[in-house]
Amino acid sequence: MKKILFVPLLLTLMSGALFAEKKPAAAPAAESAVNTSLLKVNVTMQPWNQRIPWQKTSPSSRRGLGVLLEGNRILVTAQMVADATYIELEKADTGYRLPAKVKAVDYDANLALLEPAQAVDGFFSGLKPMAVETNARIGDALQAWQLDRAGELILTPVTINKILTSRYVLETSFFLVYEAIGIIRSEANSFTLPVIKNGKLAGLLLNYDSKNQSASVLPGPIIAHFLKDMADGNYQGFPSLGVEYQQTLDEQFREYLGMTKGQSGVYISNVAKGGSAENIGVKEGDIILDMNGHPVDARGDYKDEQFGRLNMSHIVRGQSFVGDTVKIKVLREGKEQMLIGKLTRKAAKDFVVPPYLFDKGANFLVMGGLIFQELSLPFLQSFGAEWETSAPLRLTFIARHTEEYEKQGKRKIVFLAGVLPTRSTQGYDRLGGLIITQVNGKPINDLTDLDSAFKEPQDSLHKIEFEESPKVIWLDTIVAESDNTKLLGGAYRLGTLKRIE
Amino acid sequence: MLKSKFLLPAALVALSGVVIGQQSTEKTPDAAPVPTVAVVPDVVPVSWESIVRIEASFLIPDYRTPWHAGHPTGGSGTGWMVGKNKFITNAHVISNSTKLVIRLMDNPEPYEARILFIAHDCDLAMIEAVNPKPFEKLKPLEVGGVPKLNTEVTVVGYPIGGERVSVTRGVVSRIDFQGYSHSGIDQHLAIQIDAAINPGNSGGPVLQEHKVVGVAFQGYSGAVAQNVGYMIPTPVIGRFLKDVSDGHYDHYTDIAASHFPIENPAQIKALKLQDDGMGVMVSRAESAGAASGKLNTGDVILAIDGNPVFNNGLIKVDGEMMDMNEIVERKFAGDNITLDILRDGKKEKVDITLKRFLPYLTMGEQYNQRPRYVLFAGLLFQPMDRNLMEAHSIRDPLVSYTFDNYLSKEIYKERPEVVILTSILPDEVNSYLQGFQQSIVDEVNGVKIKTLADVAEALKKKEGDGKFVVIKLLERNRPLVLKRELAEAAHKRIMQTYRVEEDSYLGNE
Repeated sequence: MKKILFVPLLLTLMSGALFAEKKPAAAPAAESAVNTSLLKVNVTMQPWNQRIPWQKTSPSSRRGLGVLLEGNRILVTAQMVADATYIELEKADTGYRLPAKVKAVDYDANLALLEPAQAVDGFFSGLKPMAVETNARIGDALQAWQLDRAGELILTPVTINKILTSRYVLETSFFLVYEAIGIIRSEANSFTLPVIKNGKLAGLLLNYDSKNQSASVLPGPIIAHFLKDMADGNYQGFPSLGVEYQQTLDEQFREYLGMTKGQSGVYISNVAKGGSAENIGVKEGDIILDMNGHPVDARGDYKDEQFGRLNMSHIVRGQSFVGDTVKIKVLREGKEQMLIGKLTRKAAKDFVVPPYLFDKGANFLVMGGLIFQELSLPFLQSFGAEWETSAPLRLTFIARHTEEYEKQGKRKIVFLAGVLPTRSTQGYDRLGGLIITQVNGKPINDLTDLDSAFKEPQDSLHKIEFEESPKVIWLDTIVAESDNTKLLGGAYRLGTLKRIE
Repeated sequence: MLKSKFLLPAALVALSGVVIGQQSTEKTPDAAPVPTVAVVPDVVPVSWESIVRIEASFLIPDYRTPWHAGHPTGGSGTGWMVGKNKFITNAHVISNSTKLVIRLMDNPEPYEARILFIAHDCDLAMIEAVNPKPFEKLKPLEVGGVPKLNTEVTVVGYPIGGERVSVTRGVVSRIDFQGYSHSGIDQHLAIQIDAAINPGNSGGPVLQEHKVVGVAFQGYSGAVAQNVGYMIPTPVIGRFLKDVSDGHYDHYTDIAASHFPIENPAQIKALKLQDDGMGVMVSRAESAGAASGKLNTGDVILAIDGNPVFNNGLIKVDGEMMDMNEIVERKFAGDNITLDILRDGKKEKVDITLKRFLPYLTMGEQYNQRPRYVLFAGLLFQPMDRNLMEAHSIRDPLVSYTFDNYLSKEIYKERPEVVILTSILPDEVNSYLQGFQQSIVDEVNGVKIKTLADVAEALKKKEGDGKFVVIKLLERNRPLVLKRELAEAAHKRIMQTYRVEEDSYLGNE
C-alpha cells in the first residue's frame, strides 16, 4: 500500500546538505523568482476534546503559506485553519504581522479563505494577487513555491504524471488530484505549499511522499470551483451524487445484468438516503451508462476533454454546482432510461452520525455524573489511529449502519459516553458506550429530546433505558441535582452541564 | 484471557514461560482471618501407581483447507484412576487425539487407551485402557470435598522437567469462579493454589488428606503472574461423574439470563427494595434460554433455591461466598430451580426448568470435530464459529460484529448458522469475485441461508432459467454471479488443481 503522509512530517526527515546545491539549478526564469503573492500564515489551533467534551485539547501551532488572491483574500487549505484559535499573516520579507480570520471554509474540499481581522492600510502594498490556473495536463512542468528565512522564493520543479480523483483529508472527500513527481525539500512554513504554473496558482500541495518523491496537489479547478461558488455570497459547497457502484468487467456478471456488448457502465450497489441520486430516482441495481453526455465505462470512468480518463464523480463534484441539473442514463430491467434532476449536498450536520466536526465542541449533557453524547465519527476517531478496532466495536458498527436508527426517527444517536464518579452514579461507574432508547418514558432522538425528558421525572426518579444490558438504570432527581451543582465547580472543571447546538 | 493451558510438554514450554525447577512453597503467614488451621498431610499414602502418564497424538483440524486431514502433533498429560480401569484427565489433554497411550509410573510399557467421555465445557474426560489387565491391581483414588482456604495441597503428575512423577506442594489461595480456557467461554468454580503446576501436570490429581480435592488444569504464564495455578474442584468433578453415570455426557445447563448489581440508592428505590444489600436485577433473559418468558428486565432475584442472593450476585455455599450460578452449576438438564423474585414490588416465586443454551456453543472452541464446508467453483463456504474466526484471522468488521453479537443481538434467531464465504480458490471462472471473501452469505439462488446445509441445497436449485448461480452477500450490495455451465466445468477442474477430495463435508448426518 502506498503510504501518504503530510508534508511537514516528512520533509523534515530529509537531509539538508543533500539539497543545498540544488537551488541554482532549479531556479527558472528570473521574473517569476520574486515573491509577490505569498504570505506566511501562522496558526494556533486547539481542537475540542471529543471524549471530555467540555474541554479543549492542548494548543498546537502550524506554519504554512497562503496565496494572496483578488480582494485581499488569502487562500490556504482548510486543514491549516481547522480549530484555529489565533491566525496571523506575516509578510515574508519585513516580518510585518497582522491578525486574520476565516472568511470561508470548506472541509470537504480542504480549502479556506482568510481575510485580515481588521482593515490595515499598507499591509498588502507591494504584493500582487495571483490568478488561478485551471488548465493542466499530464507532463506539465510546475513549481512548488517556498520561502526562505528572508522571504526569498525557493522554487522546486515538479511534473504532473497522473490526474485522478482521490481522497483529500476526510474519509468522505474524493476530488480531483494532480499527482506530481519531484524532489521537494522542506523549508520553514512549508505546510500546504502553492504549486505554480506560468505565474498562476495551479494548486496547493496536499501531501508529499518522500520515498516515492511524489506529491498530491489540490488542483486549480477545485480552487476555482470554491471561489466561484462563493462569489455570490451564498456558499453552497460541492454537490455529491451519493451512490456506491461496482465495476462491470466480469463477463458473467454483465450477461446476468442483461448488458449488451455495446453497453458499458457501472452497477449501482447502494444509493445513499437523502442524497442527490436518491432524489433523482437512481435505484440500487441500476447500471449507470452515461452522465451528462459522457459515456461511463466498466470501471466508472469517463473521458474528460482536459484530463483524460477520470472517475465519473468529477462530473458531479468538479464540474457541477449545487442546484445544477444532472442527466443520468441508466439501464434498468434491460431498458435504457434517462433520469434528470438537481444536484444537492448533504451537510455534515445533517448526517445521523456526523462525519466531521471542526471549530466547535461536540454536543453533550451531564446529569448527575452520567455523560451523554451524540455519536459522531470524530468521537470514534478519538480512540486513535486504530480506532476501527480500538473504539467500542458496537458504536463503530452503528456509525456505519444508521438505516435502522433513521427509520426509528432518530436525528442523532444519543449514547452514554461515560460516567463521572458521584453519589448518583454509585454502581454505574463501569457503564459506557450504551445507546439510549428512552428517558422517563420519552423516546430520545437527539440531545434536545434528552434535555426535555430530564424535565419530567416520575416519583423523583429519572429512568434511563438502554438498548443493551443493563437495559435500565435510575437516578434520584434530588441527588442528581446536587451532584450537578458539585460537578460545576468541582475537580472535573465542567463549567457547563450541557452544550446543545 | 492470558491463561495458558498446560499441555504438550515440548511445544508449550516456550509459550507459557513457566519456570521449571524447585519452587519453594512457603506457607503463607496467617494474615487473613481464616478460621481453619492448615492441615498438613505429610505423605501421600494413596496408591501412586494409580497416577498415570497419558500420551496423545493429535490431528489439529485445518480450517483454512478444511478438506485436509489436519496438522499432526503430540503431547502428554497426567491422569488418575477413579474406578476400575477408569481414568480421569483433562479434556484438553486428549482433545483431537487419534491415539492415546497410558504409561504407569514404574513400567515402561505403553498401554493403548480410548476415550469414554469428554466434557469440553468443564475440561474433564474419562478414558479407559483397551486392555484392562495391567490395571487390575491398582487402587482407585478417593474423591474428597472442597478444601478450605490456606490449607495445604499436593500436586502429583508428569510435568515438564523430567520423565518421572513429580510432586509439588502449596496452599489453597482462592476459591472463585474462573473462565475455563479450554472452551474459552465456560466459567465454573475453580480453586487457585500456589503449588507449581506446569505443562504436563494437566489432568493430574491435587491431594489433601489422602483424597483427590481437585484436578490441576490451568495457570498463568510466569510473565503474567507468579505461583498461580488452578484446579478443577470436586463439585465440578462430582458433577461430571454423575452426569456420565447414565452412559452419556449431557453438558452443563445455563439459566441464560444476565444480571446487574444493585448498589445505587435510586435503583433500590425504583425497584421497591429494602436497603439490606440483597438482590440483583435481571437485565436480560436470552429468548432461546431457560429463563425466557420467566424473567423480565427489572425483576430482582432475591434468592435461588432458598439461598439469599447478595447485591453483588454472590450466595453462601458450604460457608464460602460463591457466584449464585453455583446452584445452577450443580444441576442437570431437566432439573428445576426456584427463584424468589421481586417484580413491581411484589414477591413472587419462579420455577425454571434448566436446559442447555445451544447458541452459546458457537462462541466456544470446538474439538474433535471435522471442519464442515461446502466448496463450489472455488468458493469456500464455512459456518462461523470461534475456530473459523481464529483460523482465517477474520477482521472484516461486519463478520466480527456478527460474531461478537451473535448472542446479545440474538442473531441466532435469523441465522442459526452464519455462513461465511471464507476464501476463493483462484480460477478464471471466479477471477472477478476476488475481494468478496470474508463476507456473510445471505442468499443463494433466491434461498435464504440459515445453515451450511442450506448452501449445499440452494446451489443445486435453479432460479429463473437456471442459467446463473447467484450468491447474495450481506451488505456487499452486489450479487456474485457465476454462469452455471462455466461454474460446473470449473468446479471439477478446481478440485483437481487444488487437490480437494470432497467438495463438501456437512457433518454426521
